[in-house]
Amino acid sequence: MRRFAACLAAIAAFGTYAYGAESYTFDASQFEKKPFELGGYLELKGDHFALNRGAAFYQLNFAGIAPRETLDRSTATLKLTGKARAGDWLLTARSHSESVHDQLAHASESRFDELVASWKPTPGFTLDAGKTVLKWGKGYAWNPVGFVERMKDPNDPELAREGFTVLAADIVRSFAGALRTLAFTPLLLPVNSDVNDDYGRHGHLNVAAKLYLLYRDTDIDFYFLNHGSRSRRFGMDFSRNIGTNFEVHGEWARIEAQEFALLDTAGALTRRTQAATSWLLGLRYLSERETTYIVEYYRNGAGFSADQYRAFTALVQRALQAGTQSPLYQRVQTLAPSYGRQNPLRDYLYLRVSQKEPCDILYVTPSLTAMVNVDDKSYSISPEILYTGRNNLELRARAVFLGGGRGTDFGEKQNERRVELLARIYF
Amino acid sequence: MSRKRTTMASLLVALLFLALSPLCLAAGLDAQDLLRKVDRNLEPESYEMYRKLINVEPSGAKKEFVLYSVKKGNDKVVALFLEPASDKGRSTLRLGDNMWLYIPNVGKPVRITSLQSVIGGVFNNADILRIDYAAEYVASIEEEHKDTLVLMLKAKTGEVAYDRLKMWVERKVLLPVKIEAYAASGLLIKTLHFKDIKDFGGGIRRPAVIETDSPLYKGYVSIMLYAGIKARQFPDEAFTLTNMHRVEELRK
Repeated sequence: MRRFAACLAAIAAFGTYAYGAESYTFDASQFEKKPFELGGYLELKGDHFALNRGAAFYQLNFAGIAPRETLDRSTATLKLTGKARAGDWLLTARSHSESVHDQLAHASESRFDELVASWKPTPGFTLDAGKTVLKWGKGYAWNPVGFVERMKDPNDPELAREGFTVLAADIVRSFAGALRTLAFTPLLLPVNSDVNDDYGRHGHLNVAAKLYLLYRDTDIDFYFLNHGSRSRRFGMDFSRNIGTNFEVHGEWARIEAQEFALLDTAGALTRRTQAATSWLLGLRYLSERETTYIVEYYRNGAGFSADQYRAFTALVQRALQAGTQSPLYQRVQTLAPSYGRQNPLRDYLYLRVSQKEPCDILYVTPSLTAMVNVDDKSYSISPEILYTGRNNLELRARAVFLGGGRGTDFGEKQNERRVELLARIYF
Repeated sequence: MSRKRTTMASLLVALLFLALSPLCLAAGLDAQDLLRKVDRNLEPESYEMYRKLINVEPSGAKKEFVLYSVKKGNDKVVALFLEPASDKGRSTLRLGDNMWLYIPNVGKPVRITSLQSVIGGVFNNADILRIDYAAEYVASIEEEHKDTLVLMLKAKTGEVAYDRLKMWVERKVLLPVKIEAYAASGLLIKTLHFKDIKDFGGGIRRPAVIETDSPLYKGYVSIMLYAGIKARQFPDEAFTLTNMHRVEELRK
């Protein structure tokens, strides 16, 4: 009888099916959970940059270097993921090794993006200790509520990022009724010269928390970060499906004390600390022709006005004329990281249109992404084609065109065009 | 001798009754009860199972995915991708009409809609995260044949992926043979063919293969192979966003 039951179980886990000339088998026992796992991908990327020699950030970044029209860069990235399990314990490691080479420099880097031990005695409780990636917010291109994470690149929002070292818990409860899920995530984030040294001011044990509710089919989150390495901030977000093909989402964040380094039109610098409110509204729509539209409007409360940004670019020109040893040039170099960060101005519009498998060509997804700076009307337009038709291979070709003229956000970037070819091999 | 004849007659009657019982059952049930019975014959109310999804292109090229799925009650399903390596660790969650996708690289769940497809090909998210037909549709009997019943299923709300389903049910075993899925406009979106009835143990006997084609994807076929279907209970907290990157830990 036992032998019969074992035989039945084996048959249940194994199946063969013939379709056309092909015979398909499925043996579920091949997919048993393992105590150790190793996987990852190798990414090879080639970039061709057409440099914008008149732009402020070209002149700053290429000061003292022979003028160039183009730059070619090749990047090899290896990302390994490993997991080890023992009872209720799970150790997760995600490494990142990168080698970048172009005509001007060669650089290599290796780090752990994630190295965290988790204890999960029940699906309703988890304790994480170590370096992990916490991603807060519902926005696709931006996350104003991302208080405890490294900044997302809106040009590649799905790119894996490096985490911070934390002690965090997840406490989850499910209910019947209008409130379906309630989850509370408190966390501690220490900052000193050895741990999370790039997060903010050293010598603080930062406390943050997230409260998540699934209430009346709407995801709602509330966020909090205490005053410490960064000023106190709080926020919320929501996301909801309206129909089978339409989703809306939004985020709102308040930073109690944001530091601004402001320039007037004469180039005089004022440092000011004041509250800043950022928000985002977005939607995702799938048409009957399977075209996906993602639209987001982002108000960056910590951003500069178009006039302030223009004043900075004018100051760069004056500083270059004064020479790289001049105090004015040194002041510009001090301000450059703030003005040169991703999306430094106040109002942005993001649109991504992607067409799934056009003309019945499976696994091919062409898309077009546009980012417009509403304040100065500068823009970035990026056509892209992605192919995922072969198992464990992803191929992507992308071009990026920036425009807007002198004194504008995208018009003063280092590059005016970029072509990228990427191959990702998973194992 | 007469006693022996009586015993034989009783046995024959009993066998006849057993053979005809699904018909009697079908006759005695209303359409919605029949649909509930079909649901239970396909899967236990709460279960775990493994599926292989194969997308076959007209050229013969194919792409395969392996999923581990868990369902609880009427409206909770979670599925984890085990293969290929490029998709390993992805999970999809359904809570009623809400659906989310978790991609390890992205690192957080994002809402998806039922008509999208996380794998490409003919299957969409509603096919992968299917809940009981009776939970989403109101059934009526459209045709009755000797061996099959044809049920017409109308979506209870506009949130359901297909407005109508036409389901051919084999009377003898109360299992679907074929399902046609229609949009509200009357457009045929896809046809599912249920094949290869197999005993999975634990009283589960159902088709081990669903073959799907679509007039919208001429020449393409998607095949779903089932294995390891087992009745199993899970806590509600297994079906939450917070648990989406830890679905693997539900596997034994």
